[in-house]
Amino acid sequence: MVIPSFLCANRVGRFAVVLAAMAAASGLSLAQSASPTDMVIHNATVMTVTQGTIEHGSVWVHQGKIAGVGATVNAPADAVIVDASGKFLTPGIVDPHSHSALGNDINEATSPVTPSMMMIDAFDNSDAALYQALAGGVTTELLLHGSANMIGGQAVVIKNKFGLSREQMLFPGAPQSIKFASGENPKRVYGSRNELPSTRMGNFEVMRQAFEDAKAYMASWDAYNAKVAKGDKDAIAPKRDLKLEALADVLRGKLLVQIHCYRPDEFLTEEAIAKQYGYKIRAFHHALEMYKVGDQIAPTGTAIATFADWWGFKDEAWDAIPWNAVMSMHEGVRVALKSDSNDYVRRLNQEAGKMVHYGGATEEEALRMITLNPAWIIGVDDRVGSIDVGKDADLVIWNMDPLSTYARAEKVYIDGDLFFDSSLPGFGTTRFHGVMHAAGFSGAEDEDGDGL
Amino acid sequence: MNFHLKTAHGFTTLCALALCLHAPAQSAHAKAEAKPASATGPNGTVADPPNLVAITGGKLLTITHGTIEDGVVVLREGKIVAVGAASSTRVPKGAQVFDAHGMTVYPGLFDAETHLGLTEVEADENSNDLVEKSDEIEPQMRVVDAFHAETVRIPVNRINGVTNAIVAPAAEDSIAGQDALIQLYGRDSDTMIMTPDIALAMNFDGAVRRRGGGTGASKFPSTRMGVASQLRQAFLDTQHYMDEQAAAGKPDHKGEPPKKDLKYEALIPYLKGEKPVVFGAYESNEVEVAMGIAKEFHLKIILNHVSHAQDLLDTIASYHVPVIVGSIYDAPLANERYDAVFSLPAELQKRGVKIALSSISDGPVSDSRNLPYAAGYAVAYGLPYDEALKAITLNPAEMFGVGDKLGSLDVGKIGNVVIANGDPLDVRTSVQQVFIAGVPIPMSNRQTDLRDEYMPLTEKARPQ
Repeated sequence: MVIPSFLCANRVGRFAVVLAAMAAASGLSLAQSASPTDMVIHNATVMTVTQGTIEHGSVWVHQGKIAGVGATVNAPADAVIVDASGKFLTPGIVDPHSHSALGNDINEATSPVTPSMMMIDAFDNSDAALYQALAGGVTTELLLHGSANMIGGQAVVIKNKFGLSREQMLFPGAPQSIKFASGENPKRVYGSRNELPSTRMGNFEVMRQAFEDAKAYMASWDAYNAKVAKGDKDAIAPKRDLKLEALADVLRGKLLVQIHCYRPDEFLTEEAIAKQYGYKIRAFHHALEMYKVGDQIAPTGTAIATFADWWGFKDEAWDAIPWNAVMSMHEGVRVALKSDSNDYVRRLNQEAGKMVHYGGATEEEALRMITLNPAWIIGVDDRVGSIDVGKDADLVIWNMDPLSTYARAEKVYIDGDLFFDSSLPGFGTTRFHGVMHAAGFSGAEDEDGDGL
Repeated sequence: MNFHLKTAHGFTTLCALALCLHAPAQSAHAKAEAKPASATGPNGTVADPPNLVAITGGKLLTITHGTIEDGVVVLREGKIVAVGAASSTRVPKGAQVFDAHGMTVYPGLFDAETHLGLTEVEADENSNDLVEKSDEIEPQMRVVDAFHAETVRIPVNRINGVTNAIVAPAAEDSIAGQDALIQLYGRDSDTMIMTPDIALAMNFDGAVRRRGGGTGASKFPSTRMGVASQLRQAFLDTQHYMDEQAAAGKPDHKGEPPKKDLKYEALIPYLKGEKPVVFGAYESNEVEVAMGIAKEFHLKIILNHVSHAQDLLDTIASYHVPVIVGSIYDAPLANERYDAVFSLPAELQKRGVKIALSSISDGPVSDSRNLPYAAGYAVAYGLPYDEALKAITLNPAEMFGVGDKLGSLDVGKIGNVVIANGDPLDVRTSVQQVFIAGVPIPMSNRQTDLRDEYMPLTEKARPQ
């Protein structure tokens, strides 16, 4: 169907009153009833992330997916129109490193190897931090285990549909990630108890031994399966061990490996261990010194999720520089920015804006660091992270260029549904009407060891 | 030392001296190129700074008298000696000229609360001198005794335009000690400390240290009541000490004068209302208790840390005291609207309260270099732009009694000036050159050195 001519930007003035009335009506109906089958966000500056910026562009959403992007779109005539004149439209922001909504259950710091911990078991969907992130335009988050353990637990990926059930907030079909750590945190946690590991040598030996154990476990199952295949009816199955199963899943390449890691020597050691045991590292998190070895890490395909300008809060953050992200990008590394904080998650757009200042990133490069690149780290870049036809309609309407200090998220859509509208009274939430749980202290798990 | 004038590989922040400097006063540019190494003195200073500087062609944000397009600022011997439109302001002969066409020029920023020089790596306890932990009442603790002028943190933060800061002890004691005013440039602590003991740092909040432990502990104080009562007793004891001193000064006095007690001595100027007390309180009930104590002892108050007082705005306005708001990034309480704290500076300013902002926040990173962005965020949530600029320049200067020296582009003030390539409050803006006390400071620090050391890797990897 051809878009009605009044939707063409150059003729919009004539129908401004009609549009405004329709927008007002649609805002009401969206808040109160099911979302429409078709919606057009009209006359925005559309920052697509993948195909540049479209002035006076439109995005057509059909059944929760992006169905058209351009100066004009072929939406049906009865599509609900959202007038975004003078506004900016971006994909929803993706945070690849969060500990929000996990209460105080971030670290199972009772053993340096705990790969069977499932963060979903701690996930609290009414945590106020989720709401505050939503109001900052964040639509997808990777909720990670902390960094007390060399091999921590398995993450949960959420869509920030605040107000819906736990089940409905899970990102459907998202791959499973596992958190590893290295450096100061594990050695401090266990070293302070006079346990292994208390040094970086200990850290990596604990990890290697864990993979040796996993290999032996896999071999015992292979042997058992071989016996069964040969028709051995007396074969006894090895005991199933959740921890070793999870490690075996790492070795089988079933889990995306997300590693908390600061120093260049440790990036190189981690890559060597990954090569030795045959798994891939999806991303180094924090990675504040990647600028020193980006040219060597780039060929491995490992990405980074880093802070914009945090530094100096601990020894292994002493060589952090705010040019890290852009320099690493220029060295060929896929770079994302992340929050690791209930505070910064609310303003990741401005952290991205700093990349224009620190290193001269283009606006699109900066925006990619909080959308498509973190989506890749989580393994959902085919679903979210850019405004492309076929992707989920996770969209944010901003009052101005989102990389400006002055930008505010005005409307946040996830799968085409409106979840936040700053013009609404109260919280501005469309689906949440209950009582929020207080967010944890800061959600910053790695600031200086507070939460380990 | 690594100070140099090389252009930085597509990065613009270092270029001011090399590119923007030109020299009708013949030799400036040539001199800089001829012997760049001589530019560096001890502790990141300039060995041979010019004593006459003119910044020409920029858009001046004066703070006190509006915006001047195509303006001129002249700095002589550390002071501002001329500010005006190019058409009416002469560039003196012999001045080192900084061409700021297309740039924005504004006064150095004033950070109303920092821990600069009191910590290096916070996780490393040996590098921390943030607050004395042995007692709740410690007015005799002076941050100047710990201020580390050679900290890496000062050069890292100052190149984004912050030229002055209050150094305060961590807000953990009821009376945590006495603040100092510094400038972020100088060869040693004596040159950087502008005013020692400029204010008293007090706190009344749920997290303040209770030597006795929390509620239920067996030692005093263990509750807010205990903490408040202890604070009042400290001022009463000081008043008694002052009475004894006064009595001992009389000719007919018999016996010994009171033994000199530094704790009481430290409180005397504040009890006399001679210097401000920076009183930290987060929530409405805390603000009210703090102001009750302040009124009882006639303290000259600057409220600090106010972040959850949306129900007390008119009352706060009625106190007629200045307020250092937030951090604006403090988390809303559960079930507060997401922008409850973001909008607080605007709500207070609207009611006539003089506000300032600081870089102190709950998070791991309280960097002065991010101060302008906090002000910008306040603008996003309703604070008028000019008021936001004031909140990080003239307002804090006036609160601490140095409004005649700092905080605006006015003749007679100290030559603290910033040249940036755009709006100072925007995260995308890059500062080109900072002047402190008239000196064009090196726009380098440990972080730019690391950047430049590793930059060739990016040059090699990038497609040409």
